Amino acid sequence: MKPTAPLVLAAALLAAACGPSGGREAAPAETLVIGLAADLSSWNPYLAGDAHDEEILALVYPSLAVEQPDYQLHPPTFAPSLAASWEHSEDGLSLTFHLREDAVWSDGVPVSAEDLVFSWQVQSSEELGWAWGDITDAITRVEAVDARTVRYEFNRRYPYQLMDVNDGPIVPAHAWRGIPLEQWQDTDWLPRVLAAGPYRPAGHTPQQEIVLEANPGAAAGHGPRIPRLVFRIVPSSTNLVNQLLAGSVHLAGGVAPADAARLQAAAGIDLTVFADRSYTHVCWNLARPPFDDPRLRRALAMAVDREALIEVVYDGFALLSLGPVLSSMWAFNGALEPVPFEPAAAARLLAEAGWQDRDGDGVLDRDGAPLAFELLAPAESDTRQDVVLMIERDLARIGVTVTPRFVEWGALQARMDAGDFDAFVNRWVEPTQIDLAGIWHSVLPGEPSFNYGRYANPEVDRLLAEVDAAPDFAAQKPLLDRIQELIVADQPYLFLVENTRLVAHSSRLRGADINAASIFFNIREWELAP
Amino acid sequence: MLALVPLVWLVLTLSFVVLQAAPGTYADAIDNPRLSPAGRAAARSHFGLDRPPLAQYGSWLKAALSGDLGTSFMYRKPVARVIAEALPPTMVLGGAGLAITLGLGLALALASTRRPHGWADRVISVLSLGVSGVPSFWLAGMLILVFSIGLGWLPPSHMRSTDAAGLGAVSRAIDAARHLLLPALCLGLVGAAGTARYLRAALLDVRASRYLLAARARGLSESRLLWVHALRPALLPVVTLIGLSLPILVSGSVVVETVFSWPGMGQVAFNAARARDVPLVLGATLVGAVAVILGNLVADLLYAVVDPRARRPS
Repeated sequence: MKPTAPLVLAAALLAAACGPSGGREAAPAETLVIGLAADLSSWNPYLAGDAHDEEILALVYPSLAVEQPDYQLHPPTFAPSLAASWEHSEDGLSLTFHLREDAVWSDGVPVSAEDLVFSWQVQSSEELGWAWGDITDAITRVEAVDARTVRYEFNRRYPYQLMDVNDGPIVPAHAWRGIPLEQWQDTDWLPRVLAAGPYRPAGHTPQQEIVLEANPGAAAGHGPRIPRLVFRIVPSSTNLVNQLLAGSVHLAGGVAPADAARLQAAAGIDLTVFADRSYTHVCWNLARPPFDDPRLRRALAMAVDREALIEVVYDGFALLSLGPVLSSMWAFNGALEPVPFEPAAAARLLAEAGWQDRDGDGVLDRDGAPLAFELLAPAESDTRQDVVLMIERDLARIGVTVTPRFVEWGALQARMDAGDFDAFVNRWVEPTQIDLAGIWHSVLPGEPSFNYGRYANPEVDRLLAEVDAAPDFAAQKPLLDRIQELIVADQPYLFLVENTRLVAHSSRLRGADINAASIFFNIREWELAP
Repeated sequence: MLALVPLVWLVLTLSFVVLQAAPGTYADAIDNPRLSPAGRAAARSHFGLDRPPLAQYGSWLKAALSGDLGTSFMYRKPVARVIAEALPPTMVLGGAGLAITLGLGLALALASTRRPHGWADRVISVLSLGVSGVPSFWLAGMLILVFSIGLGWLPPSHMRSTDAAGLGAVSRAIDAARHLLLPALCLGLVGAAGTARYLRAALLDVRASRYLLAARARGLSESRLLWVHALRPALLPVVTLIGLSLPILVSGSVVVETVFSWPGMGQVAFNAARARDVPLVLGATLVGAVAVILGNLVADLLYAVVDPRARRPS
């Protein structure tokens, strides 16, 4: 063998493997390939983790009703799904659902009222500790009136009763009741999944792909048109875009704004952009000086050029955030004025608060201490790190020193919980149920809360209690408006931007109504053109 | 071999200490303020996080000694099963990468030394030097850009096509090979460049040696000179490289696995460390520690095969 022979052999092997038949995986038209950033954490909806898990599992498990993306002008309405109809009692303390006659689990057993009773027992079980268990706090009893009728009883009348009931996943009592709740965390759920949604599981290779196939048990004439969905796990966002461009993925549920131009320029790819009900902000630690001074917080807000932030960091794919309620929600107070970008006025306000450059070093000081703080962001988020750097630049111009600190998410969470921070950049994803108390109600020291900055305003606390007691949305709206005014005046957060979600998909995908309620909102009607 | 057990124990104990010292625990991730205090306590108790670190360590060690590596917090599966699922893909990728490292490295070194300082040698030297300094994430991006997006020849990620289950055995093997090629190239090219450079230098040294001159004078053919007399002593530095490469066969490469969506040990260990999934981190560390020790052992054994001097009793 000549010394060059191995090279020739290697080249020949490479050529044979590459073949012109192509790396573009010719997915048949009956298979839709969807790119996912992370694998499904559990097939049991009560153990699954994030919003992406919920989107997949909502294709498998039934829901009583389908929440509509019409929450801009009024609270969201609901369309019948498993429940053909429902009605409130006159006193508003009970809600009765009438289930569809043709709904069956994938083993052929009808979906019954017993499944809803069992699901409620699971939701409210402290043994399991379901992450959203508090939605059942006001539900006192769930009763199977008959096989197809179920009644929920509440301890008080409030406007989110239907939403709270509908947010609890429905699981098969006949198949799962025999598994003790204390064993749920360690159970392998895939073989135990029974579907009553449009799809059922057909395979799961961890960290590779999840395969769903049309559920034959789905109501006649109401099954999905695309018979097979393959979710491919693509942890690298860059590679997700590459896969879209290479044609091996048809749909990516979330691409970065920085990739938008490249995707828009590509033939055969469409981009759907919508407000994704989340906002990015800086949380100040109000328990720690100097952030206890509202003048300082307002001045810092006035010194940050958020329009530039939107253009530079978000490539224009974001909106100005004005307050604690998203501008796309019915409860948003349209009378709120944005904090203007006025660095000169910010400097004057800081001077009023005693911050001036007395020693001529270019940094504001008071009582000999410089105005300097550490701004944290998760090391895993390039976007939030860019936000920190933009804020550092803007605040340096008015003599405020920001030390960027990018820490791994677990470490950041520990510091947030312990109140061990000056400020951090965070992103809240808001449910369609307006729940301001979780973030804005005052808390006792050491009490776990999402109110990491320890904001406390007795007037806001009082109004939040009134919102909680209000019987309907009309009564809640003026209270919510006033709460927003108070919070914006206090500036416990530097409200930065409202985020958008960019969904990229093949132009072959037809009939898709992709919206903020779910990217799979009308998946039964989707078609994949050949 | 028994003497290695304390070493493995030390590595695992240090890993446990480092995990405890790192800020944040898995409990921070599951401490949901929406839960009642009882609900939070139940969640902590389920994962044993309500006990002091020393007690957690003691329980883990006791179970590990009986072969039970515990249950992964994040995957909610036995650690042994998570590792058993992730290990084969990593070994396939690592094996292919190592084959490229050795095969291509050897081929390039042979081509280089055929005419030292000739044009082929110069081109290979420049390319080897360039590739040696390339970070793997960049190389991965370039390979995908050229072979997947540009030329459309090879798939950009995953172990198989979405329709692979319906293919025949041969088509399925070809499909798997096509998916393996880019990540294996990414993993193997940098090593191949290094191997080529080491081997070239060693081969040139050997060729200049007097024993080879004597062999040539005896009229041996060039190919016999190379394959029988020159290559074996020149392989000594490569044996060290093989020993060092073995751990990556089982511990995986985070970057390559992430970019190519390859479901291996690198991703598992990285995600476990980020989530403070203590049992899984310790399980992955155990596999890595054993691999490092075995790698050294294999290198020592290979030395004995390649170099008769190593077999001599001292």
